[in-house]
Amino acid sequence: MDGQVVLQLLNGLVVGSSLALVASGLALLFGVLHVINFAQGDFFMLGAYAVWFLLRVTHNYVLSVVAGTLLVGIAGGLLLSLVVWPLLRRSQVWTLLATLGLSLIVEQVATNVLGGDAKLVDAPLAVPVSVGPVNYPLYFLVVVVVGLGVLLAGSFALKYTKYGIWLRAVAQNRPMAAALGVPVPRVFVLAFVVCAGLAALAGGLLVPLTAVYPTVGADVILYAFIVVVAGGMGNLRGAALIAILVGEVQSLGSLVAKPSVVTIALFALVIVILMVRARQQKVVVRL
Amino acid sequence: MLELRDLHAYYGASHVVQGIDLSVGPGEAVGLMGRNGVGKTTTLKAIMGLEARTRGQILFDGADVAGLPSHVRAGRGLGYVPEERAVFPQMTVEENVRIGALIHRPRDVRGCLDAAYELFPILAERRGQLAGTLSGGQQKMLSLARGLALRPKLLLVDEPTEGLMPANVALIGAALARATQLGVAVLVVDASFDLVAETCSRLYAMDRGVLTGMFRPGEFSGPDELAARYLGAVGA
Repeated sequence: MDGQVVLQLLNGLVVGSSLALVASGLALLFGVLHVINFAQGDFFMLGAYAVWFLLRVTHNYVLSVVAGTLLVGIAGGLLLSLVVWPLLRRSQVWTLLATLGLSLIVEQVATNVLGGDAKLVDAPLAVPVSVGPVNYPLYFLVVVVVGLGVLLAGSFALKYTKYGIWLRAVAQNRPMAAALGVPVPRVFVLAFVVCAGLAALAGGLLVPLTAVYPTVGADVILYAFIVVVAGGMGNLRGAALIAILVGEVQSLGSLVAKPSVVTIALFALVIVILMVRARQQKVVVRL
Repeated sequence: MLELRDLHAYYGASHVVQGIDLSVGPGEAVGLMGRNGVGKTTTLKAIMGLEARTRGQILFDGADVAGLPSHVRAGRGLGYVPEERAVFPQMTVEENVRIGALIHRPRDVRGCLDAAYELFPILAERRGQLAGTLSGGQQKMLSLARGLALRPKLLLVDEPTEGLMPANVALIGAALARATQLGVAVLVVDASFDLVAETCSRLYAMDRGVLTGMFRPGEFSGPDELAARYLGAVGA
């Protein structure tokens, strides 16, 4: 296989697996609470800033990513709870506007506090490894493995753990789940934290590739929404698969066309997927 | 165990349950009978804290649980089996049964599941099947098994035999009888006179949001006599 094709395939996997993390969080939150979270891109941005900052303190990349994910996941989850919870009984438009407002505030605060310039982070594990005809940075292969590993672990947790089963039960029938003793408020908070944490993890993993600046989440959120809508709202497996597909289309498409043409083709592809899925749209958290 | 004192329940402006007093003792099975639309289902939902707005006292184990969220009531030992099947269709039979059992300590969960499967062996055979693909009768069984897996002190059961074949009605009746043998109190709403007569020690009659009488099953020879005396012209 041509070296360029292999290279772009690998790039697509890196982008796709990270996008899958962000989109899975969105899909989970929509499945459980029917909330469309416009602040998801900002948790990606905060996760990246957290790694940039913690790296300067700890000089340990793994520790920075883990701690950054936990910090942003918990803080972001609580922030979402604070903003969204009082509006849960109202129309979806209220929660959508509330998360949009939260997104604008977080971006502005980040700009005021950290400045608008891009902060760079060097990739750890800068050793190239041979993948077929190309040498590829080891770190980005690790990003793919970690991203897909976390998604697999999440899928396992949804299937077999207490809170995973409860998350799916609440997504399917909230009053009945409550009548069976499922602590619905606790499940909501968990969904908020996991949603924010997945975006923060993606931001932390990708920061050596993207750098970090206050609007770094804007592109991510656009593609994440495309992925979630095309994969089926609330459908985690669908979101993960579509995310990989989007990553690959973007990367491989750049070999034959300008980025703007690739983006148009991507939107066309999503429209086709939506048309195929239109007859079976039903919101449940699927594995 | 359960005592309702002047319980009222509303759906919007509709005053559906209009001040009822009712009690269920420990391990006792009690029936609530009446025509469609008189407030039986709303009474059960009000006890469980679902949907209806309520006024009055709902004393359970001596404490007033009115105003508490449903999951807290379930945690205190109230179980609920709804009229509609309300299984979680995209989850397997086992996952459905586990939902309630999981509020207990991990080492007790298996026992909760086994007890539920013992009552309905067909569910054990189909534990890996998606609940939404079960037949209507099996979904009713699953709904009851799931309620029992919670290990409630009192199980509220709404129309468990509606639309079921006679063989399945007998299975449901046997399961309710077994539950009471194990010490679970039951408050059951059912149109089947035979089921409530066999299962319950006391029956309440309800009409237009109020209780019209309390009696024992042996006082009546059949549903027609019961209906004529307590439930108006239409049979129970």
